[in-house]
Amino acid sequence: MKIAYYPGCSLHSSGIEYDISTKQVCNAMGIELVEVEDWICCGASPAHQCDDLMSVALPAKNLALAVRTNSLKQVCAPCASCYSRLKFAQERMKDGNLRKNVEEVIGSKYPQNVEVLHMLDVIIEKIGIDAVKEKVVRDLRDLRVACYYGCLMTRPPKVTGKQHFENPTDMESLIEALGANPIDWNMKTFCCGASFALTQTDVALELTKKILTDAVSAGAQVISVGCPLCHANLDGRQKQINEKFNTNFDIPIFYFTELMGLALGIRAKDLGIFRHITEVEDFLKERALV
Amino acid sequence: MKIVGQKDVKLDKAFMEEIAKRSGENVFLCYQCKKCASGCPSRMFMDSTPTELMRYIQLGMVDEAMKTNTIWYCISCQTCSTRCPQDIDIAHVVDTIRIIVQEKKIKADTKNERLFNRFWMGMLKYMTRMYEVGLTGMLNLFTGRPFKDLPLGIKMIRKGKLKLLPSIRKPFVTMKMFSRARRLKK
Repeated sequence: MKIAYYPGCSLHSSGIEYDISTKQVCNAMGIELVEVEDWICCGASPAHQCDDLMSVALPAKNLALAVRTNSLKQVCAPCASCYSRLKFAQERMKDGNLRKNVEEVIGSKYPQNVEVLHMLDVIIEKIGIDAVKEKVVRDLRDLRVACYYGCLMTRPPKVTGKQHFENPTDMESLIEALGANPIDWNMKTFCCGASFALTQTDVALELTKKILTDAVSAGAQVISVGCPLCHANLDGRQKQINEKFNTNFDIPIFYFTELMGLALGIRAKDLGIFRHITEVEDFLKERALV
Repeated sequence: MKIVGQKDVKLDKAFMEEIAKRSGENVFLCYQCKKCASGCPSRMFMDSTPTELMRYIQLGMVDEAMKTNTIWYCISCQTCSTRCPQDIDIAHVVDTIRIIVQEKKIKADTKNERLFNRFWMGMLKYMTRMYEVGLTGMLNLFTGRPFKDLPLGIKMIRKGKLKLLPSIRKPFVTMKMFSRARRLKK
């Protein structure tokens, strides 16, 4: 099965292990990801708050490019922010006037029946949990996992089309299929502060601290995420949070694709796991996952 | 000019009409249930709650809506828009006010977001993709904290998580898009 792949800016730099592990698990599950040729930034955090037309035109351009790449009608965007922008553009393009303007800006026709999928959707809807279960070769040994979705994987439901937006469970079913143990906790769709880490770091630290506190007190050993910005905050800012709030967080944060890769028997090194800021080597050794 | 309590309040009907028209949202449907304020993760930092913001717009209280820090603390997490029982896309209304403030170059406490937007969109225009090192570096420089997050940045570079040089593809594609959009807006 072939799917167009829109990695987005983060997956080519700070979220590179998400890019690596996504490609690895897709390869293992027999999905061929074809990277969109000459893709451009989707406008992510700034476009929608400074330029309404461009905030639709940039993702629309990428959808047009995706269809031009091998005329594929399904696009996988693992970054929650890219996924959201692409979905938002599809929703907004239902407005005929706006569509006319956007088509003029992007200089080509806008492809209407493209299916935009988050990487988790690809696993749940296209691969299927049963197929994943069959390929699991390494036991994650009841690892207690807090599944963290963040904002944009499910919200707003009008745009994402998700039924369970307050209490999503797709990631839990995947984690369970891998032999690990998803825990119940409160903050799975709470915001981590996202790009505020750059502009108003205090806000991001405060919100990230809340998420870490809740996950740890609910008994999580690791947190599983599906967004490079959530990962950057939860993984990269733990030291700053410990310094600021006098806490001692040292909890590994994995992309769900990394956990899946481990369970499928892919070597940790090949999944890019050692690129995390919060060290995971000792943790993996303890559990004989490396 | 009207006096509410002890304070002078400027009421501007044109402002509320502009918000309603540009966002396409019917802000007058808001009946102040406070669901948005309760769910807002950024609420504790804001001058006023999202619920109060909606009321300001309904009344045309332009300064309270445009010049306070409330809209600039919105992280666009979509919680308010998701939970609004009146189906108002509050995050879109907030975005619309932010766009107007930037377009009209209104002096406001934008919490560095104006800079962030300008740098990122500039990079997008000339490099087609976002360049993280450049964005962070420029933000730190222009906000007077050149060494902010330096240890983290160094660690990320060592781990191969940051590209030191930008990847510039076909910049004419994005430059053309921006100039066409500019023409359209005129």
